[in-house]
Amino acid sequence: MSRRASGLKAWLLQRLSAVYIGLYAFYFLFAMLGGAAQSHEAWRAWLASPMPALAMILFFIALTTHAWVGIRDVAVDYARPLWLRLSLLSVVAVILLGSLSGAVMALLAAR
Amino acid sequence: MASMRFSIYRYNPDTDAHPYMKDYEIDGLDGEMMLLEALKRIKARDETLSFRRSCGEGVCGSDAMNINGSNGLACITPLKTLKTPVEIRPLPGLPVIRDLVVDMSQFYKQYRAVKPYLVVKDPVPEVEFRQSPGEREALDGLYECILCACCSTSCPSFWWNPDRFLGPAALLQACRFLSDSRDQATEERLDDLEDAYKLFRCHTIMNCVQVCPKGLNPTAAIGRIKKKMTKQFI
Repeated sequence: MSRRASGLKAWLLQRLSAVYIGLYAFYFLFAMLGGAAQSHEAWRAWLASPMPALAMILFFIALTTHAWVGIRDVAVDYARPLWLRLSLLSVVAVILLGSLSGAVMALLAAR
Repeated sequence: MASMRFSIYRYNPDTDAHPYMKDYEIDGLDGEMMLLEALKRIKARDETLSFRRSCGEGVCGSDAMNINGSNGLACITPLKTLKTPVEIRPLPGLPVIRDLVVDMSQFYKQYRAVKPYLVVKDPVPEVEFRQSPGEREALDGLYECILCACCSTSCPSFWWNPDRFLGPAALLQACRFLSDSRDQATEERLDDLEDAYKLFRCHTIMNCVQVCPKGLNPTAAIGRIKKKMTKQFI
């Protein structure tokens, strides 16, 4: 592939992130059923252990990526004027990156 | 079937300020008849009505139109399957030239953009190109397209980005030549389709599959292109 693969890369990222989000949902459900959130202490202890924390950070990264590609698709379809599309995507990027940073910092603070 | 009512989109840019729907009631129709026959009878009564038709057998694709909200060919749509009054409009998303006749230039431009012909770099064989039965079968479900435009003009992505998204009909043809064992431009074809618009505006809405009068599946063809592209990328 000679060019930068903007369409294919975005499409692959959307699918790969969806697979991870789907797998993580099962993992999270089983952890909850196993009592990971029975009490505040148990919840903190669960999030302080490396594997659940790493899996959750990856989940938030996958969720942000998935949301970005999806919203970018909507903007490319509907927001035809370039200024409108750029403004919309800039606002979305700030919200998504802010949310991701907040989530990762909260997880790191739990350790 | 005693009589049947039709509501037909009318617009003559030379005389009408705006398009309007005109009602017709036609007697003596049989439920087994096709919609095209009813349109011919309406035209016999009102010769100002314009629509395209040619073979009358679902082969040429000329009489594609929007019938009760769904695109189809008038010549293979039996009257008994239609709810009355039958609302007939031109194909959506294309400029209307007059009544049910649309300007298909954009559609043909998209078709030409995928180079719908074999590209061969090696010297052409003196006799014929050889294909195994399996290689020939790979083209089934792709080569049968009659370019009626029912699929592309029912695709919301085509309505939103007709100038940049190629649409299901052109992409079906792209897949047809990507799947052809005789073609030698696979990499160039895939590179040409690789941007955010030409191929990837397809969101698998599948209106194209629902309306194709030949029962083809452009969405599956688009999936095959994405698979080939992914393989090449990896």
